[in-house]
Amino acid sequence: MSPTTTTEASAERKLARRRGAGQRRTSLFAHGEPLVWLTGGALALAVVMILGLLLLVLRQGLPTFWPSEVVQVSTVAGGVHAGEVADVDVYRPEAHVLDALPEAVAARARASLAERDGLSERRMLRTGNYELTGTHYTWVSDFELAEETRPEWILVVERLENGRFYGTPRSIAVQGTTTEGDAQLVWDQFERHHDAARERWQVKRELETVEIGEVNRLIEAARLELREVELAHGVDSEPWRAAQRELEQRTHSAEAEFQRLRREIDALTEAGRGSTLTLVSADGASTTLALEEIVRAYPANRLSTAERIGVYLSRLAEFLFDEPREANSEGGVFPAMFGTVLMTLIMAVLVVPFGVLAALYLREYAKPGAVVSAVRIAINNLAGVPSIVFGVFGLGFFCYIVGANVDELLFSAKLPTPTYGKGGLMWASLTLALLTLPVVIVPTEEALSAVPRSMREGSFACGATKWQTIWRIVLPRALPGIMTGMILALARGAGEVAPLMLVGAVKLAPELPLDTHWPFLHPERSFMHLGFHIYDLGFQSQNSEAAKPMVYTTTLLLIGIVVALNVLAIWIRARLRRRFQGSQL
Amino acid sequence: MIAQSRALALERATLAPGHSEPHARVPMTTANPLSGRVFEAIGRNQPFTPETHAALASEELVLEIERFDLWYGKSRALHAISMAVPRGKVTAMIGPSGCGKSTLLRSVNRMNDLIDSVRIAGEMRLNGDPIYAPGQDVIELRKRIGMVFQKPNPFPMSIFENVIYPLRIDGERDKHVLAGVCESSLRGAGLWDEVKDRLNDSALRLSGGQQQRLCIARAISAEPEVLLLDEPCSALDPIATGRIEDLIEELKGNYSILMVTHNMQQAARTSDYTAFMYLGRLVEYGPTDDIFLQPHLKETEDYISGRFG
Repeated sequence: MSPTTTTEASAERKLARRRGAGQRRTSLFAHGEPLVWLTGGALALAVVMILGLLLLVLRQGLPTFWPSEVVQVSTVAGGVHAGEVADVDVYRPEAHVLDALPEAVAARARASLAERDGLSERRMLRTGNYELTGTHYTWVSDFELAEETRPEWILVVERLENGRFYGTPRSIAVQGTTTEGDAQLVWDQFERHHDAARERWQVKRELETVEIGEVNRLIEAARLELREVELAHGVDSEPWRAAQRELEQRTHSAEAEFQRLRREIDALTEAGRGSTLTLVSADGASTTLALEEIVRAYPANRLSTAERIGVYLSRLAEFLFDEPREANSEGGVFPAMFGTVLMTLIMAVLVVPFGVLAALYLREYAKPGAVVSAVRIAINNLAGVPSIVFGVFGLGFFCYIVGANVDELLFSAKLPTPTYGKGGLMWASLTLALLTLPVVIVPTEEALSAVPRSMREGSFACGATKWQTIWRIVLPRALPGIMTGMILALARGAGEVAPLMLVGAVKLAPELPLDTHWPFLHPERSFMHLGFHIYDLGFQSQNSEAAKPMVYTTTLLLIGIVVALNVLAIWIRARLRRRFQGSQL
Repeated sequence: MIAQSRALALERATLAPGHSEPHARVPMTTANPLSGRVFEAIGRNQPFTPETHAALASEELVLEIERFDLWYGKSRALHAISMAVPRGKVTAMIGPSGCGKSTLLRSVNRMNDLIDSVRIAGEMRLNGDPIYAPGQDVIELRKRIGMVFQKPNPFPMSIFENVIYPLRIDGERDKHVLAGVCESSLRGAGLWDEVKDRLNDSALRLSGGQQQRLCIARAISAEPEVLLLDEPCSALDPIATGRIEDLIEELKGNYSILMVTHNMQQAARTSDYTAFMYLGRLVEYGPTDDIFLQPHLKETEDYISGRFG
């Protein structure tokens, strides 16, 4: 066979093979299409779940502050309830409920129930008026409904205690002058004088907490000085007597200051006493509320959309910037937000340098071998340790050992009251820093090993030492990777709750850990945390129905804060990346 | 003129059809009795004396390599290399991949110290100072030697900071000194006009050829006694390569250059001396003209004319 015919024959074979490609000869799995569907499906499922989570939180969290209309219902049993619809539900009423109804109505109710296979709709009204009814919510079934109205002048009153009040204004007294009768007139009076009353209350509160707190602080400081002198020189020594006199003097002057403040407060209380709003609830009971104790009131059924948005925004602002009240189920979450952000930032400041140093040693200095591998495995496993274990460690080590020793050494005068020997911001941050350490070390190591060998060699060839090379070449180049570690640590740290419950997060912290008193940052103080706040709202609240929407709203806020922290870090990383990793040949 | 005739000869040698008789056209002034049997000797691991041309004896030397051996773990990469690098000249090292050229180059500034498994024997001297003497400060030594790598490796910082990096790590703070060195180095590397308006831009945004010239500027900013170039053009396109070659031509005289290249034309065009290495041995070393036009060993001629390797 000549070479030409060989070539021809092989070309023919190739052609034949290609022609055959029209029919499916390779198996479905070899083509890999089912795998495309499988992998795509897995991703789609993940996306749907995440979107579902976000949608649920948005759906439940966003309407929390929306002022809905107030309905007033009277039941066939004779009860009258007014409130906002908080929930709608379908259920199967028990027979004895129907038996309890008056005969005529029961028959009608039975008939309507039979039509719907024994099911009835019921609504949960937020009826408030806790001091009158002993409950915040009332279920009203459709079959027991006699009449439903939307009274024009019914007010929703948010106040400092006992939850909301729903009722029609009857009279208002301002500094002794009473306006009575027409709801419009009363409401106008209320709008005119409410702000002043609230302002007076704010001033009073300021005096009670800040000013009197200041006086107490001074006395406490003098007492501590005396105690210190006592510890150093013993009781009845000469310096002790001097300190004793000093304390007496200061207590004396503080007492005078205290009396002055007390009088001021009393005057304000007296001024507020004459300003009250009297409301009539749906069932005819009347209640008188002090103006200054009303946080917000609005005629729910008279509001235009713009006014509703106004109420919504005012509630949102209160939520973001105010302190909580009513066992956290009302008011704001500012201290919790502040605590979360501050703790997360302190944690980042602690964990990033620590993690980077550890990663540097592991990657740059340690001789690869069994020990280094073991350490690396241990670090990776640290990421899998349940977080509560870190909490227990933090409590046992930081609070009870380190903190107790710090107290012995520096704050012995305050003992037996612990300063650092209990949960606090510092220990919480340290515990979380420990928890997130592997999250920083692992990406940092990866970033370090991704720095091209050629760059290191170039630096060494210029006569740079190892440290100079690391400091000037390797670290800047690895910075975006280190930032990735930091982002992961922030996300992990901001969302962690379990260990915090042991090392310093509390239900209600009287003071922020950052204030205007030296040294401004108080790492020993307990703090509030959004994650813990959610847990507290959802599972520890007395008024759990009222707290439920707040749970979602707070969750939304926590997600928002974590996202904001991450976006910030990602933005910084993008900037660094542009600077340190341009187009590489 | 010389470069031209050299290139012509090379062209003749490499473009000639493989079957024709080369001996007829290239005159052989061979005196070495081993000629033609060198590879055989290497294969049998017999010792042999490399063919070093007499012209080198009259040169002033910047770097002396004496019976230098190097092992990577158990495998021996360099066999008793003895080589003298003349001052102010360009010396090229050629040879097939894996012959040890880069290893030898990296031994000069002790970059091989970074690899744990490397062992060495023998000595090198930079202007008389022993490079491998015990107690020799490697950091100080490297500051006396500039090096440019195969792949451009600018640092992740501005152009200015890249050029003055050797001064920075020396702790130089005087802004006037730094600016002066930056300008003169960039001028020296023929990059000044292209980057003078954007010295604070990231060096990583430069093109590949510019990056490599920047690396040269960085290497010469510390006024090195010898400049090592490790295949400086292998990652560049022909135009960038041409510019680097022109630059080498300009640097000649002021700097002593030792370069590794895979590109025979480049060695022929730019170098004064050429060393041919094979399997960790120095085979022939002499003036580039002689190596390319009348090599003493048949093996050298075969390699240059592209008959193997």
